[in-house]
Amino acid sequence: MNAAAAGPADAASDPGPGRDTTRPLPTVRAARAVFDLSLDAMVWSRRSLMMALLLALPVVLAIVYRAVLGRLPPRVAAFDFYGNIVTYYYLRFALPVTALFYATALVADEVDGKTLTYLITRPVRRSAILIGKFAAYVATTFALALPAIVVSFFLLATAGGWSGIGARVGDLFRDLGVMALALVAYGALFTLVGVLLRRPVIPGLLFVFVWELLANLPGYMPRLTLTAWLQSLIRHRPPQEGVTAIFGQVLPAALSLQVLTAATLLFLAASLWIFSRREYVIEE
Amino acid sequence: MTRSRLVVFASMLVVGVGVVAGVGALYLDPARAAVGPLEAEALALPADSRFVIGLDVKRFVSSPFYARFGDGPGQARPDAFADLEEKLGLDPERDLDRVVIAGRDPSGMKKDPGVALITGRFDRYKLGRAAEEKPGVTTKNHEGTSMYLYDEEKKGATAVAFLDDTTLALGSQSAVEAVITNRANGSGGLRANTALMALLETVKPGSTFWMAGDQSMLARMPTTLPGGGGTGMQIPALRSMVVTGDLDPVVALQVTGETADAAAAQNLADLVRGVVAMVSLQAAQKPELAQLASAVSVTTQEHRVQVNARLPYELLETLQPKKKSASSPTHSAP
Repeated sequence: MNAAAAGPADAASDPGPGRDTTRPLPTVRAARAVFDLSLDAMVWSRRSLMMALLLALPVVLAIVYRAVLGRLPPRVAAFDFYGNIVTYYYLRFALPVTALFYATALVADEVDGKTLTYLITRPVRRSAILIGKFAAYVATTFALALPAIVVSFFLLATAGGWSGIGARVGDLFRDLGVMALALVAYGALFTLVGVLLRRPVIPGLLFVFVWELLANLPGYMPRLTLTAWLQSLIRHRPPQEGVTAIFGQVLPAALSLQVLTAATLLFLAASLWIFSRREYVIEE
Repeated sequence: MTRSRLVVFASMLVVGVGVVAGVGALYLDPARAAVGPLEAEALALPADSRFVIGLDVKRFVSSPFYARFGDGPGQARPDAFADLEEKLGLDPERDLDRVVIAGRDPSGMKKDPGVALITGRFDRYKLGRAAEEKPGVTTKNHEGTSMYLYDEEKKGATAVAFLDDTTLALGSQSAVEAVITNRANGSGGLRANTALMALLETVKPGSTFWMAGDQSMLARMPTTLPGGGGTGMQIPALRSMVVTGDLDPVVALQVTGETADAAAAQNLADLVRGVVAMVSLQAAQKPELAQLASAVSVTTQEHRVQVNARLPYELLETLQPKKKSASSPTHSAP
């Protein structure tokens, strides 16, 4: 986002007659202005184009499955294919990567673009800036990811006809909820990484592709990952091989929800706290 | 509305339409299950049932599994199909859609065969005539529904009753009467069995076959595994078991067992993994067993153990007993 070109923020920061200009704008009003500004910048970006392609890939695969693979002797049933897409493609890869590239950029892009000064010198609380930006991240990623899963579901769940679809719809609702939770939880974590580190992408990638592999280990190690908690919330359990097959475990669903909610709140609170106090040095 | 908001709104509209379509399907889909995989009709099954088994006959007989293994050694065609052919002159492959069986005593099927609800397309007149022509068959009216009784005077009499043009109940006389009564009253059926209902709700709807029951279903299972030195390894007891399976494109089985506590679940999971590992060790002599071992996965969730298996048909064929070739000589040449 380029705050220098901020139209809505100008309007929001317009004190108006009678406002005490020595006090910052109310948090909700300021966050909403930042949300509008950030949403424009996020939706119309090259990053969104790439992420839209990444997240819509299963839709293309589902169309190929129905058009070509469904006519061949199948190795994987259409609904199992959908289950694999949710479990392995979205939860293990696409959603963490999407969250990583958007959420770490919430502050890092402003620092790299040397536009952070324009934001933090406005009469708005820093917490309102981060809240507005995080809300824009949530709106953008939901808009990119959730329609893709809905379309993939209907393409694959109806590959054999509409009969029995009612029995499978519960999985769609559940998957939508888990995917939304995944975007929020990973987004909160990577927002924290973004406000902490100047170059957050490499550590973020290491987290997604190395640390999250702990989810496949025995004992309590999977509890240190977000993947294990998220995968425990979905019903698709494709048979696995190797180490995962030996040590695979499903954590209690209620506990998973509690842990993910608590982790999200903790990451967001820490992000707000750090962002409100940290001095950012804009290099010339 | 800004362009960005319009994009978000359009995306959410797609999600909204999907959710509305989903909710609509949930309420309008004719194949919608009443409880788990059970249709409303099957809720008239006796409340004291200990286990319920379901088979989607249409899917079963049209699956590649049935085409490959329907006949021959270890044939997949259920014996019950032959019984239906003999007793009622039905052609199960053509006439049946679904079968749901409820039982009380799985260890003694001959003492109490339970009751089966069979859904399909029946010619009631023709089937009635076919039943009446059998020796020892009598008829009885129970709560306005005609029943055909087989060996009424003897112990273990069985009965058949048409509940409507598409559903018939078949089983022990007492169980069939209970189904008719429950159906007529609209109460007292399987819904009253809260433990079994809770299990049925966990069954994945839309499966080709499924099974849910309490520990009585496992009464014939061994309680120990033989070990070295004459000592046996105790198998943790299961409180309940739910099985679901599909046959297309591979044989996919999901078995969920509930144990007394998390420790017992872990023990049982370790035991199953041990058996799978032992099977893997045999892979040197029988390469197909390596594939079998990798097709099975075991997970635990609190006091539940879940075993997933995906068995390709090729693998099942290699595990089948070899057919004797017609041209192979039965005696060695002198």
